[in-house]
Amino acid sequence: MGGAAGTGLRALFASAESPIAPPRGPEREVLSVCDLCSGGCGVRVRMVGDRAVRLDGNPLHPVSGGRLCPRGQAALQALYHPDRPPGPLRRSGPRGALASFQRATWDEALDAIAGRLAELRRAGRPEAVVLVTGGGGAGLGPRVARRFLSAYGSPNDVALHRGDEAAAIALALTQGVRAVPALDLASADYVLSLGSALLEASSAPVHATRAFGEFRRGRPGRRGKLVHVEPRLSITAASADEWIAVRPGTEGVFALGVAAAILAEGLHARSFVAERVLGLEEERDAAGRMRPGLRAVLERRYRLEEVEAETGVPGDVILRVAREFSSAGASLAVGPRKGPLLPGRTSDHLAAGVLNALAGVVDAPGGVLVADEPPLPAWPAPPQTVSAAWRERPRLDGAGAAHPLLASDPERLADAIREGAPYRAEALLLLEADPAFASADPDAFAAALDTVPLVVSMGSLPDDTALLADWILPTSHFLERGDLHTTPPGVPYPVVSLARPALPRPVNDARAAAEVFFALARRVAPDLAAALPWRDVDALVRFEVDGLFAARRGAVMGTPFDEAFVRMMERAGWWAPGYRTAEELWTRAHAAGGWWDPFYDHGDFRRVLRTASGRLELRADLLEAAPAAEGAEGTLALLLFEPLPIAGGTGAELPFLQAILDPGHDAHWETWAELHPDTAARLGVAHEDWVRIESPRASIVARARVTSRVVADAVAVPVGLGRKGGGRWASGVGANPLRLVERARDPISGLPDLAATRVRVARVAAPGGRA
Amino acid sequence: MARWGMVIDLDRCTGCQACVVACQVENNVPPAGPVDAARGRAISWLRLVPMQSTGPRGTRPALQLVPLPCQHCGRPPCTRVCPVRATQKDEEGFVAQIYPRCIGCRYCTTACPYTVRDFNWRRPEWAAPLERSLSPDVSVRPRGVVEKCTFCHHRLQLARDRARAEGRPLQDEEYVPACVQTCPALAMSFGDLDDPRSEVARLGRSQRAFRLLEELGTEPNVIYLAKGEWGA
Amino acid sequence: MPELERQDERLFAPIARAGRGFWLLAVVAGGLGLAGLAAWLVQLRRGLAVTGLNVPVYWGLYITHFVFFIGISHAGTLISAILRLSRAEWRRPITRAAEVITVLVLFFGMGCVLLDLGRPDRAAFVLLHANFRSPLLWDVASVTTYLTASTLYLYLPLIPDIALLRDRFPGRRWLYGPLSLRWTGTPRQHRILERAISVMAIVVIPIAVSVHTVVSWVFAMTVQPMWHSTIFGPYFVVGAIFSGIAAIILAMAVVRRAYRLEAYLKPVHFNNLGLLLLVMSLLWFYFTFAEFLTTWYGGDPSHLAVFVSKTEGRFALSFWTMVIACFVIPVALLASRRTRATVWGTVVASISVEVGMWLERFLIVVPSLSVPRLPMTAAPYAPSWVEWSLFAAFVALFVFLYAIFTKLFPIVSIWEVREGRERSVAEVSRRVESYLPAEERAP
Ligand SMILES: Nc1nc2c(c(=O)[nH]1)N[C@H]1C(S)=C(S)[C@@H](COP(=O)(O)OP(=O)(O)OC[C@H]3O[C@@H](n4cnc5c(=O)[nH]c(N)nc54)[C@H](O)[C@@H]3O)O[C@H]1N2
Ligand code: SF4
Ligand code: SF4
Ligand code: SF4
Ligand code: SF4
Ligand code: SF4
Repeated sequence: MGGAAGTGLRALFASAESPIAPPRGPEREVLSVCDLCSGGCGVRVRMVGDRAVRLDGNPLHPVSGGRLCPRGQAALQALYHPDRPPGPLRRSGPRGALASFQRATWDEALDAIAGRLAELRRAGRPEAVVLVTGGGGAGLGPRVARRFLSAYGSPNDVALHRGDEAAAIALALTQGVRAVPALDLASADYVLSLGSALLEASSAPVHATRAFGEFRRGRPGRRGKLVHVEPRLSITAASADEWIAVRPGTEGVFALGVAAAILAEGLHARSFVAERVLGLEEERDAAGRMRPGLRAVLERRYRLEEVEAETGVPGDVILRVAREFSSAGASLAVGPRKGPLLPGRTSDHLAAGVLNALAGVVDAPGGVLVADEPPLPAWPAPPQTVSAAWRERPRLDGAGAAHPLLASDPERLADAIREGAPYRAEALLLLEADPAFASADPDAFAAALDTVPLVVSMGSLPDDTALLADWILPTSHFLERGDLHTTPPGVPYPVVSLARPALPRPVNDARAAAEVFFALARRVAPDLAAALPWRDVDALVRFEVDGLFAARRGAVMGTPFDEAFVRMMERAGWWAPGYRTAEELWTRAHAAGGWWDPFYDHGDFRRVLRTASGRLELRADLLEAAPAAEGAEGTLALLLFEPLPIAGGTGAELPFLQAILDPGHDAHWETWAELHPDTAARLGVAHEDWVRIESPRASIVARARVTSRVVADAVAVPVGLGRKGGGRWASGVGANPLRLVERARDPISGLPDLAATRVRVARVAAPGGRA
Repeated sequence: MARWGMVIDLDRCTGCQACVVACQVENNVPPAGPVDAARGRAISWLRLVPMQSTGPRGTRPALQLVPLPCQHCGRPPCTRVCPVRATQKDEEGFVAQIYPRCIGCRYCTTACPYTVRDFNWRRPEWAAPLERSLSPDVSVRPRGVVEKCTFCHHRLQLARDRARAEGRPLQDEEYVPACVQTCPALAMSFGDLDDPRSEVARLGRSQRAFRLLEELGTEPNVIYLAKGEWGA
Repeated sequence: MPELERQDERLFAPIARAGRGFWLLAVVAGGLGLAGLAAWLVQLRRGLAVTGLNVPVYWGLYITHFVFFIGISHAGTLISAILRLSRAEWRRPITRAAEVITVLVLFFGMGCVLLDLGRPDRAAFVLLHANFRSPLLWDVASVTTYLTASTLYLYLPLIPDIALLRDRFPGRRWLYGPLSLRWTGTPRQHRILERAISVMAIVVIPIAVSVHTVVSWVFAMTVQPMWHSTIFGPYFVVGAIFSGIAAIILAMAVVRRAYRLEAYLKPVHFNNLGLLLLVMSLLWFYFTFAEFLTTWYGGDPSHLAVFVSKTEGRFALSFWTMVIACFVIPVALLASRRTRATVWGTVVASISVEVGMWLERFLIVVPSLSVPRLPMTAAPYAPSWVEWSLFAAFVALFVFLYAIFTKLFPIVSIWEVREGRERSVAEVSRRVESYLPAEERAP
């Protein structure tokens, strides 16, 4: 009796233990590169047998320095995600549901897609094929895909925005250089962040966070001060020494108010401005037109009282910031990039640029740097088989026409596809791109996809767009492939990171994107195969490393001591590479994680000021833009932000990241809407109530968080949740506020303006019974 | 004998939470879904605690995020109350947790003033093939027992084994917990608090050093460095 | 049958046969018991996830009920011992009914702890790896001692009655025979028995006081806000006696009604117990007031946070209900003899007290955990159906076991009533006389 009861109890408690088979086999470490965002961190994987059990930063890697962000730490959850497709999937039912897809082999998939591409080409309509690239990393996949497309003969190479465009365009307008500015936070003494997500979803989060640590406490006796200006107490604001709450959309006005005060008190870097800056006073530009001078514009439009009234910041605070900014060693102003989907207004980036110019920190330590391109070899020119007539065809998205600085215009692409004008799109190839979720107009994209006869989605996990595709081709996780990554945006020195496949074979039947395009090229036409003349990714990497060797500069990644040595030598004009042959470079670079050139030649103005005048042009003409229009009665400004774990529209698929959406609220697994207590009281909304947020375009439901972390008359909502795809953990969790965004364009760059939308907020009952 | 301790510099910390995820990955913490998370049942050995305060003028709030692992108290209120000695303090400063002995009474969890102890409300699950990412160094806990930050004690054992195999003494920097290793801001340091030359001892002597809820006499081995002033 | 045997026939009646009421109770209790068993199996299989517990509210109904049941256990043994030692003659018909409560309810109190364990299969570790620095171990020790002592204390006065039953129900000799310890009622046996009872009555009082003191120390020994309090020991003991007396009154009222014992359990008994209840209510209020005033006046923020959550926050409704149920209602009913000397008056007061004391236990356990010292999102605790079913099952099984006891043994101590009738009346009048100045006799 007692025995039987004991056995029963034991049986019950056997269910307490999780039956987990530990990994077996020898241990080894493999170096790779994280591509979960654009950060390009070198990583070190701990392998036990054929399993990857731990990911850490590669200590020799100059970007990660042995550290990782939470996404990188969660990368193993992406590798072993239970919802990665078993292999290629072909749609056999209605669009929009994973259940409509059936397993196919790679041969079937490649034959079907290549067959259609070959047909279109034979019919003389290669331009009907559109490539949309997204994704974070700067690996070979997108580069091979682009080469494939251009050799194929289509101009429609559309890259989804990744948040750096506004800053890059501002740099192009003022310095004449097409690059993402690299901010030397680590050497700065004073940083004025104009609503930037500097310490959250920046373009290279680990690099930026490391720099911040250095800025604050890395230099004995020299502690940097961070002042953050934004209507919301973001995570960056929490780390700042001071949070200056401005009215929504007035960060740029604040910056120009500070600039006006600096000029009025004569605190600007006089010699730098005199020698290198154009446009302080009224001047004639290269085309002979008169441009207003900055001084006049500031005096006319950004007087202290006006800025005070517009931003809601007391004048004495503006004056104090102006004095601090102009007296503290290296002062750096940072534009309002809030993440890969939220580039910020170009005018605000220009305003930040004005402050940096006045502080004289252009191409100076602690200032705005411009990275050199890594000296990779040019790929051999493709055979001239593509007809000249094809080259003349316009791009579907018309990029570059209305706004010369805009390289891609995904929203216009969606319209063009729907309208079928200037011509019909017959095939859409998406590479790690999810525009039906993560773009300025997700609904328009979803509708556009419906009209394209062949949609192919390539990614490691079926995303929202994949659900609308005809083919889902599973691409490998970064730990499953060899790769070569170039400098991440925002890093000031050229970096080439090398990755070896960590897993002996992919978890499922996934393939590297580059390999998929190699295979497609071989199937479509011989000239395409010749345009990609490498046997496989390994051969391509070898080709690149050979070119790197030939460039005779830089060094294999190494310890800080190695770094200092290389810097010293290069400063003295020497090159001491530590490798004698390309083969040696190949071996040693793979063993260390890659190659880089740590030497930065500050003050090389011929390189960084490539305007017609050879000077930094302040472009006061663009700064005279009208103030933000007052919203309609009863509407609130919609403030979007991207929490680091789910920035760029990915990350929600990993449960470890869903659990840490915002440490300030301890928010997880749901979309929330931050409302100031006064605003909430006016709307009759209590903390944790459900609210409907409604714009003229759409409405979403979110959970109210009543908090003084946001100013009154605004509602702040995180971007990154509300997905249909993305697997079990992302699908159906939260809501996508990008759907609310009204079509508006940044007048300077032509980028979508995601900060112009006003919404109504009202209390509702719990959505779908889930309380 | 070393007294292992951690220093967390709040002036460097950006609240990125890499440490939080690193800890979960390193220690085979099971992922929780939305339902468990909403019910306060997601296990996390390290959390960021938001201390929000209204500013001096009562208008502008400030938010201080404090990474909170087990403080490995010198006088831990948790170990005293455990009826079966399933949680104990050892001479190197670790407050250890013995899973096969824990009866799951959750007395230690209620006694810990820092609320850093987690309980296995259900059997941990990993949707296949997620279980392949589990570390072989840390046991998977059964349902019904309490767990918490161990200061990555297994890493000390591994480092010791390595040193012993190579016939040399253990160096301080060979033993680094997962959270400390990944922190991109270098906000966390770890080492022997009793060794006056160690990094943590040096930082611990800083003017900015303080410990959480020190007034309770818990003598934590986690030291925080307060945010500094400009130029200080 | 001799005259004497027939005298207390009414007390034997329930033992002789089980009525419809009993079987109805058996069905209801069996049903609730089975539901509880099912809930328990679900919990064993799926873990404590099936409760409403969370981080930081690690403890909830189970621990509340542990404190509540152990509190009620103070009814019997302690009250009975005090009344015995103070030679309160009115105690005779009520001691047994009270003592049974103690013994039975202790099992359920300990059962609650078992329910609360994440790993009940490892319960024996408490003995194998005992850590005597843990108040939980002190609890195990004191509750076990209390259970042993109370059982003995219940059993000793049962012996003469068991002997009566042995002679009366030959068919149940297998049970009563061994238990009666060959009692024949010789003067020597009586002397030994009474001696033993008095010793036990003395021993049992400090044990009983220690039990609930130690229960309070489970909380008070931690540094948690509004647990870490020096008055928790006496506060818990007072609360225990308070809820215990209410339990006795309720048990008496039920037994009186069910077995028509109006002749034995008279309004005077209810009146006297009601007086005791009134005193305890005042004492309870005094302690509660002292506890809350010092917390509020001291103003330690972490304590104050818990204070506020009770008085005006999430727990305010429960808190003020508790004050009304434990203080306002009982005092109103018991202060006046008109209501106190009635059965319904004391019964209503007792029900109110039980509800109030249940809330009090809940409000001690849960709010302190709900407001942790360091800010974190504290998901509100809402007990699940599993926890409620197990509570219902425990209450039902307790009532049922109590009923079974009345079917096996006389719920009013027959020999003590008789002894009272035969000896004490004279004894008391002599005693009372001895208190008075010697009467001046007429010459
Ligand atoms: N490590 C170290 N310790 C030392 C010394 C040392 O050099 N190094 N020096 C020693 C010496 S010489 C001294 S005198 C002591 C000084 O020791 P303390 O007397 O502790 O000196 P303070 O740090 O100045 O703290 C005085 C407190 O009074 C508060 N206060 C300021 N103005 C007023 C006021 O008008 N009214 C009231 N009620 N409070 C006010 C301040 O905010 C502060 O909290 O320290 C001794 N201890
Ligand atoms: S910053 Fe980007 S690249 Fe680096 S670890 Fe995080 S997700 Fe990966
Ligand atoms: S922090 Fe809590 S769990 Fe850790 S040692 Fe201290 S009391 Fe124990
Ligand atoms: S839960 Fe486990 S470790 Fe904690 S007190 Fe109980 S037995 Fe000890
Ligand atoms: S020391 Fe180890 S166990 Fe503790 S919080 Fe850090 S990673 Fe987690
Ligand atoms: S990893 Fe470092 S910077 Fe990030 S939250 Fe943790 S302690 Fe802070």
